[in-house]
Parts: sequence; structure tokens; C-alpha cells
Amino acid sequence: MDKPEFYQRLAEILDIEEVKPENVLKDFDVWDSLAILSVLAMADAKYSVSIKAEEIRSVVTAEDLARLVEAKRN
Amino acid sequence: MKCTFKNKRISSIITVVPSQEYRFDDEYHYFKMNEAQAKRFKKTMSLDRHRIAPPEVCASDLCLFGVQRLLDAGVLKKEDIDAILFISQTPDYILPATSNVIHGKLGLDHDVICLDMNQGCAGYLTGLQQACLLLEIPSVSKVLLLTGDTSSKLVDKRNRISYPITGDAGAATVIERCPEERTIYMDVKNDGSRYKALLIPGGGFRMPSSAKTLELREVEEGVIKCLEHADMDGAAIFNFTMDDVPPQIQDVISFSGDTWDSIEHFFLHQPNPFIVTQMAQKMKIPAAKVPNNVVSLYGNCSSTTIPMNIALNCSGPMLTGTHRVCLSGFGVGLTWISAVLDMGPLEFCKLVDYETT
Amino acid sequence: MNFTFRGKRISGVLVVVPANERSFVEEMRNFNFPEGRSLKLKEVMGYDKRRIVEPGVCVSDLAVFGLQQLFEQNLLKREEIDALLLVTQTADHFMPATSSLIQGRLGLKQDMLCLDINQACAGFVIGLMQAFMLLEQESVRKVVLINADVLSRKASPKDRNIYPMIGDGASITIVERDTVDSVIHASVKMDGSRASALTIPAGGLRLPSSPETARLEDVGDNNLRAKDHVFMDGSAIFNFVQTEVPPLIKDLLVEAGVPVAAVDFFLCHQPNRFMLEKLADKMKVPHARMPNNVVEHFGNSGSVTIPTVMAYNLRERLLREQLQVCLAGFGGGLAWSAMLLKLGKLAFNNITEYE
Repeated sequence: MDKPEFYQRLAEILDIEEVKPENVLKDFDVWDSLAILSVLAMADAKYSVSIKAEEIRSVVTAEDLARLVEAKRN
Repeated sequence: MKCTFKNKRISSIITVVPSQEYRFDDEYHYFKMNEAQAKRFKKTMSLDRHRIAPPEVCASDLCLFGVQRLLDAGVLKKEDIDAILFISQTPDYILPATSNVIHGKLGLDHDVICLDMNQGCAGYLTGLQQACLLLEIPSVSKVLLLTGDTSSKLVDKRNRISYPITGDAGAATVIERCPEERTIYMDVKNDGSRYKALLIPGGGFRMPSSAKTLELREVEEGVIKCLEHADMDGAAIFNFTMDDVPPQIQDVISFSGDTWDSIEHFFLHQPNPFIVTQMAQKMKIPAAKVPNNVVSLYGNCSSTTIPMNIALNCSGPMLTGTHRVCLSGFGVGLTWISAVLDMGPLEFCKLVDYETT
Repeated sequence: MNFTFRGKRISGVLVVVPANERSFVEEMRNFNFPEGRSLKLKEVMGYDKRRIVEPGVCVSDLAVFGLQQLFEQNLLKREEIDALLLVTQTADHFMPATSSLIQGRLGLKQDMLCLDINQACAGFVIGLMQAFMLLEQESVRKVVLINADVLSRKASPKDRNIYPMIGDGASITIVERDTVDSVIHASVKMDGSRASALTIPAGGLRLPSSPETARLEDVGDNNLRAKDHVFMDGSAIFNFVQTEVPPLIKDLLVEAGVPVAAVDFFLCHQPNRFMLEKLADKMKVPHARMPNNVVEHFGNSGSVTIPTVMAYNLRERLLREQLQVCLAGFGGGLAWSAMLLKLGKLAFNNITEYE
């Protein structure tokens, strides 16, 4: 999976400049229920994976999220 | 679970909304949102405005108003009503059933069967199924299906997740026998193990109404609610609408012998425009076939979104021709029901404002 | 309104009653009436013992308990259940439907129907009709009809009109197709103009619950009741039953071509013994053929009383033989209903206690 592209897509849906792998998702101002929905939708539309509600709640950093999506693809 | 019904048709639809309209731009200051956040939210969710009933108006009032308009228009006669179905999660009373109360207000004779059924988002399909079951009985020729909810009474104005997308509405649909076969193909699925995804914890018998259940608290940033308000797990609902509903729609299309292309219109329940867009993309249905503007203009009005969708977007064609449609209601329960059928020409198909006389 | 069904049968009945028993004599001290008068009421109405749930117990608890027992005794298999109908007026939540909760708690399959229907004392007959209608669908072979209420939780302890009478409970009735093409006749009538004769004024959306609606008020007849409590206009209901029910049953029997004498038992809703004796007299039916003792043992549990009569008064007989019975359910709505059918032999016909 192209990780830089993933972080770029994540930044776009969160409407922020840049997302780094070590960023803690909860620290983003915009990390609310809408953001979560947008991430689920992006994962489904762009990566054809279905992330469950419990899974996204257990993810801490942007890199955790990228790894989750990657694992599901394989 | 598959069902089929023959020789039944929907003949009239009226949807009724409160005349009080509120715009997101005027309301977002309740939600502890700054302008940038509000803009983003409004854009992603395609929000604009919604209709909220005044305190003294219940769902049954909206439905009854619709029935009166149908009677006035001459497309329905009181003596022809053989059954009243009231599908709601916001009834007038715990008991008696609201359909009984409506029966009394209409002054109908005793030979009418009245049933209240508790259903939310899938309620229009539940009602359609129930009407068809009743219409198998020789003494039942015409069923009045009433769907309605005043969900706004179950949410605080300052709840930024739920309030902007909430809308109140009622609908009256007439379903009757017809000589043409017009088979209705339906599939019903239930999964009560995921009931927590959409739940009102208090107010029923599990947790009766008390000072505690009425106490408003900020449960998370910008979400103010009490135990008698609806809890919604947005992510779980999203997973459900993406994972469970499309396969059912595919299944019922195969069941009816149709293809994705042969269906002219997909009238899906409207939880919010974001979800409907995602679903349409997943199922590869062109957006033009999946009207998706109910929430933006009126709010998510539970089981009434489907008839509202039809009256708002398709009344012209529905009054003049026959169309192959797919209806799909999904949500609280969790329950998901989809159907393929021919609809139209209808005798009546309108969206009106509620007026107090 | 008349209905006919063919080729359907009730195959088993299980009634779940709370183990918690109350006695009229112990409770009458709460009422604002002299003891002598209360005892007179007891004698006339046939009040004595009733079963009510402990605080916090809901209809889904009673239903799950009963169904689990049937699974354990191998009288019902989970995967056979194609539809779960719950007829109740005291649901666990406003949302979701309680039938969905029961389905989830028991791990039943997704390919099934779950329906909550709000109906009162006419609810057993109406529930049966719903089951028969569903069984016309090819994919529906077995329907579980649950009638259940925990209305005691909304009765004011200081309201002598209602408190001593109410019972709680649940019944599970298995309905399926019959190999014999026997005919079932039913009739239902409704009158919503008299809906307020049996109501809970607050708690729905018309008048939401609040500290105000919880306040006990002296309603003028020496009883105290809040708007959150169930209200029953006793004399209006009595008049209604005496006026409407006999012609309904008579017309049904005429329609079916069955004389009164050919009906083995009239299994009626059990409001109290007094009303049933008067009803039997009016219809010229011997009291022995219209059992009326459910209230004195269990209380009036709404739509559960008819299956309770079956399991309590006719337990052995319905296991061994087939009887011609006329069911009659009447009350809140107002609604009145009757059904003529052959009943038995049942695979099971029990009463079980919920602790």
C-alpha cells in the first residue's frame, strides 16, 4: 500500500495541511464522529476494506490506521 | 426472509411536514461549532434545513392531517378504510394504540382493524408488508398505512451530531387490491444483537422515566443528551449500511428477475446524504437514480423518508406512468427490508405543509 | 370485520408467570376504603392472589426465559423460528422494537421477521390472526406469538379500581401450518372514540413524563392516581363488554354455522369473575363452559389471560384431545374480537414460573 498517498488522503478528508505517521489522531481538532465516518468511507471506497467501529476506536496514531488498512487489504 | 405479494398496489401518497423550517446557518451556534467547523460539517453532510414540529404537535397529528387531505381530494372515502396501520417510534401514548385514537378522531365504523407497529427506518417497508398481508383477507380491500415520527422531541437542540439531521414528518399511503398481478418482491432481515447501534435507553419499561432519565448531560464534546434521547453509534450504522444493505438489494433484484439497469428508481431510506452517496457508489448505481435530498431539505424523518423521497422527487412521473422501483428501509433494530415492485400511476402524490385550523 | 383462515393450528402454549405473588387482603390496607367494603369488592370481583414482576423486570425477560425453557426441553428449535410476533403495551424501549431485542438475546437467525404490535386485551386473537396471515407466505413455516405485559409497574397502589386486578405475565404460542384444511373463523371490531376508557395519559409523546405527571392526584372517587399511571373507566368497560361482546360471538357462531351448544369452551379474556359471570349469563352459557378463575389466581394480565385459561383450566384435556373452542378478547382500544377454532392436541400446554 502506498503509505504517503494514504496520509495525503487522510489529510484531505480531515481538511488539514499534512498528516505524519506519528500524529495521534485524537489530538486533531477535527477528529470527531464526522471524521471517523469519512475515514470509514475512504477505506471502503479507495481501499475496498471495511473497518469496524471497534477497530477504529482502538487505533492511536495515523500509522496505526495505515497499518490497519494495509493488513485488511492482504 | 423472502416474501411475495400479488394483486396489490400503492394508490395514493401524501407526506406532511411541519411548516416551521429552520436553517443550519441559523442554528449552528447552538452546537458549539465555530464557523469553519460548521462550514465543513454542512458541506460533508450536505445540510441546509429541516422541519421541526411545535411542542403540541405529535406524529399522529401530521398523519391525520394527511388523511384529511386525501378525503378532501376525493381519493379516499371513510367507509372504504378497512385497516389503519400506525408505524412509529414516537406514539401518542404507551397505551392505547395510536391507530385506535386516530380511528376515533376519524369517526369510522367498528369494522376496521387498527394496529400500531413499532418500527423506525425500515417502517415503510414493514407497513407495506403488513398492508399486503391484510389485503389477502377478503373483507379487507383498502389499507391506510400511516408512518410518522416527531424525532425532534427525542433530541436536544444542542446535540450537534443528531439535531441538524433530524426532521419531523408524517405520511399517509393508501394500499389496495388491484386486478393486475404487479408482484411485490421483498426480503426482510433482522439482527437484534446489534440493537445498541440505535437505542433510546430510558422512557420504556427497562428504564422508566425519572428525574435521572430526564437529566441533560454533555456526554462528549458538543453532544448534550439525556437517557430518553436516542443513542446512535454512527460508525456501527455506517458499517451496517455498507456491509449488509447492498447485498440485500442485490438479492431482491435477482429475486424479482431484474437487473441493476432495469430498476428506474432506488428510493432508499435517508439517514443522511453522506451515507446514501457512499451506498450508491458502492452499488455502482448512477446518482440520478438515487434521489438523495430529503435530509438537506427536511431532515431524516425515519420511516417517512421513503414516501417523502417519492413525493418530493418523483410525483410527476408517479402520477402518469408505471415505474420499476426498489425501496429499501434500514436502521434501528437492526432491521433491513428491501423490495422491488412496479409503482404508479398513483391517484395522488404530494408533499404538503401541516396547517392548524 | 370477518376473517377466515384455513389449514393453521396452535401446536403449543407456554405461560410464564412471575413467582412473586401478592394477596388482596394484605394489600387492601393501602386503599382509602373501609376494610369491609374492600372485602366485599374482593368477593364480588373474584380478587384474591395475583402475580406481578419484581421491579425492573421487562417483557423481554419473561419472553427470553420462556423461549429458553422451550429450547432446553427440545420443544422448539431456534432455527425453526421464522417469525417472532410480540403483542405488548409495555415495551422495554421506545426504540428498538422489543421483538428485535428478544431475537438478539436468543441468537436467532437473521432471515426472520420481528414485529412488535401494540394491542391490549384483544391482543391474543389479533396476534393469532397475524400469525395465520404470515403463514400464508411460503417462507414462513413456524411463528412464535408472544403476548406479554408488565402493566403492574404502571398501576397506582392507591387506586382500588385497578391495582388489585392487574397481573403480569407472558405467553408463548407456537403457530404453524396444519395438515388438515380446517377452517378458523374470526371477527374483530374497534372503536377508537372510546379509547380513553383505558389509557395511560402520560409517558408517550402527547404528554411526556415529568415530575408533574408523577404526582398522585385525588381523582375524586377516593382513589389516588398519577398521569403516569394506568386509568380504567370500570363502568364504561363493563357496559361495553355487556353490550358488544355477546352479539360479536353470536354473529361469529352464526357465520360459522356452529350452535352455542357445540362449543366445548368459551375461553374469554379474564377481566374479573363478576364480568365473566354476567357475560355467561347474558349468552346463556353455563359457567362451567366459560372459565372465570384466572384473575383470582394470577390477576388480569391483558392479552395473556386467554392462553392462561388454556394452560390453567384445560391443561390435561388440551394435551389429550381436540376441543371446539371460542376465544374472545376485549378491552383497551376499545377492541373486541372472537375466534372459533379447533384446539388440541397440543404438544405442550404449561405454566412456568419466572424468578
